[in-house]
Amino acid sequence: MKSFFSKHKYTVISACSFVFVLFIWQLVTDILHLVSPVMLPSPTKIVETFWYKLTGGTVPDGSSLIQNILSSLKIALGGYVVGVIIGVPLGVGMAWSRRFELVAKPLFDIIRPVPALAWIPLMILWLGIGYASKVGIIFFAAFISATVNSYTGIRQTSQVHLWVGKTFGATNRQLLFKVAIPTALPMIFTGLRLALGSAWVALVAAEMLAATSGLGYMIQISRLLGRPDVIIVGMITIGFVGLLLNTVLEKLQKKFVKRGKKA
Amino acid sequence: MERSEGNVKTKTPVLECRNVGRSFDSYDGSGKNEVLRGMDFEVYENEFLVLFGAGQCGKTTLLNILAGLDMPTEGEVLARGQKVTKPAPERGFVYQKTSLFPWMTVEENVGFGPKVRHLPEKEVQERVKKYLDLVGLTGFEKSYPNQLSGGMRQRVGIARAYANEPDIMLMDEPFGHLDAQTRYMMEEELQRIWQKEKRTVVFVTNNIEEALFLADRIILLTNCPTHIKEEYEINMPHPRDYVDPEFLRLRQLITDNMDLTL
Amino acid sequence: MIDSTTNSRFSTKQLIVIYTIISLVGLLIVWELVARFTSASMFLPPASEVLAAFARSFVEPIGQHTMLAHVGVSLYRVAVAFIFATIIGIALGVGMGYSKLFEAIFKPIFEFIRPIPPLAWIPLSILWFGLSDTGKFFIIFLGCFCFITVNTYDGAKNVDPELIGAARMLGASEKQVFFKIVLPSSVPYIFAGLQIAVTAGWSAVVGSEMIQSNEGVGWVIIRGMSTGNTVQIMVGIVAIGIVGFALANITSALERRLCSWNAQKGM
Repeated sequence: MKSFFSKHKYTVISACSFVFVLFIWQLVTDILHLVSPVMLPSPTKIVETFWYKLTGGTVPDGSSLIQNILSSLKIALGGYVVGVIIGVPLGVGMAWSRRFELVAKPLFDIIRPVPALAWIPLMILWLGIGYASKVGIIFFAAFISATVNSYTGIRQTSQVHLWVGKTFGATNRQLLFKVAIPTALPMIFTGLRLALGSAWVALVAAEMLAATSGLGYMIQISRLLGRPDVIIVGMITIGFVGLLLNTVLEKLQKKFVKRGKKA
Repeated sequence: MERSEGNVKTKTPVLECRNVGRSFDSYDGSGKNEVLRGMDFEVYENEFLVLFGAGQCGKTTLLNILAGLDMPTEGEVLARGQKVTKPAPERGFVYQKTSLFPWMTVEENVGFGPKVRHLPEKEVQERVKKYLDLVGLTGFEKSYPNQLSGGMRQRVGIARAYANEPDIMLMDEPFGHLDAQTRYMMEEELQRIWQKEKRTVVFVTNNIEEALFLADRIILLTNCPTHIKEEYEINMPHPRDYVDPEFLRLRQLITDNMDLTL
Repeated sequence: MIDSTTNSRFSTKQLIVIYTIISLVGLLIVWELVARFTSASMFLPPASEVLAAFARSFVEPIGQHTMLAHVGVSLYRVAVAFIFATIIGIALGVGMGYSKLFEAIFKPIFEFIRPIPPLAWIPLSILWFGLSDTGKFFIIFLGCFCFITVNTYDGAKNVDPELIGAARMLGASEKQVFFKIVLPSSVPYIFAGLQIAVTAGWSAVVGSEMIQSNEGVGWVIIRGMSTGNTVQIMVGIVAIGIVGFALANITSALERRLCSWNAQKGM
């Protein structure tokens, strides 16, 4: 037992710290009633609600947790795919062709500093509160990370590698596909991960403003209905799904980018 | 270990290495990786001792143990009779990578030791001035390390170690990263500095010419686990010449004795 | 870079300026023409109208303030939250990076909170703080805080152990190692974190003002939406973009100044 403790000392401390926080939380809510349940529900209440929503409960927002997750994912992935399909080639193109960069970069630079959320009103006004407007917002979020990282990745191609390619008689096209893009692949993948992260964040905002289902809608409507337990369940789910998406992409990155360790 | 009788400066040992061994847990955790075995030697006052050996394993570990940055798994190290358990400013360290603090200017780097030991500000300034002058870097006080060449950075590293006025200097292949030309120059510089400001020096290198150029005494190490193979007293006068017959003879003698297998 | 057929008549800098002007003017002309002469005019106001409205917004108030005051309100909110986030984020990050015990205690809780997007806290913050500024500070704080902590933590973890060894050899105490070595050598990481955090904070203020405010740039665009005023939305977006651009550039200029020693990597 002693050797177990000394070996896993910090893991044990971590676990204790986490349990301690939960305990204090439980103490001030359900046991001592120092905080009103309207402000902060107890951990046990949250677990209860979580189970209820997970097993198909549709109160108070009208959909179960799984339905909400799927609805959110559908939108997030839709906008994400469009953003990546446009963003990656744009970034690669701007980094590879000087002429294209001169024309396209100023236009990209004026869009870049605008947070994706700021497009929400315009999108809603133009495209309504349906699927299209939310995909549009998420597109902006994903597109910028994807472009910036692909651009930086290609720019990191070492001049020496290009010279080697040239001395062996590679065409410009071969240099791009055989030298520059493989060099940039780790960066591009990082961009894809960041893009998915921003897409997921933007989604929450979009759904809070204009939706009839989805996780963002769920937490927003629960506030109006005074259900903080559902809000917290929603927040944790949003965090968890975001983490899951990131992990999936990380696994993919490890599989496709075989150059071993990260820089 | 037989020690040939020579004109060792004094016979007061500054640092004693008593049967030091060091093992690490191997990566898969299945066994032990023995790096050092039975290291037993003394370093005498004002002597320039070179630990010479090919390959990477062991020499830096040994130096870290002498410094007190690492603990031996066997044996012990005594500094003036006191057991070494932690780093102390009495032992100065010069690194291969220089390890200058990149956010500090040259003078802040050199003054770091005296400053953290709370010497009076005037004394700190005097030492900075004195040792920058000694290594020939007056005028570069306000430069940052990344503005200096490799040789200049190494000079700052030496000045920084000297500024603490340590009892003994430990140098871990300080010129290993330099190009050949700069390296020769720095070896001469170090010899000049050492003649002027005598210190006990333990110098690690894998370059035989460097060892012969600098050393009063050379300890030849062999690899895996690192242990002492031979000791040589070097009695040639300074400055030494790379093509002197005695130099070449010793060079031949020592290299013949090296195990070149890993 | 790669097909750099250097035009002998112009330097690279001149070329960039020329092309920037050409493409921006081109964009404005196309926008203007599309908005005036196609059916897009239904929802797209002409560029000239937006620019004129933008200029006017500095004199004529939108809601209760002129544009400058709205920007000021939003910047004030970011600044307050950012300062708190910087102090707490750096303390937490360096602490976790330096002390294993500290890390063991705080990391699980931090890792639990980190993946939750700051805007997802809005419903709770409204419950807790109502529609006051405190709620907005809270959201923006969360938006900045995680980035600063993560980066500082990375920085403190990645201190070159040889530098710590060198400092100990020179006689530095634990406290001196922490303040003179660990902290300064994390500074470039901290700055990288601050840079991301400023952008994230600006995004968070826009988001939180859209949901719970009656002033600030986020309010300007959401108000434009609810009154169907496309011009006002676009004016707001222009302002948000300009400030976002300025913030990003100010922090990177600051970084170049303060971390000049780090300019040449890989010593």
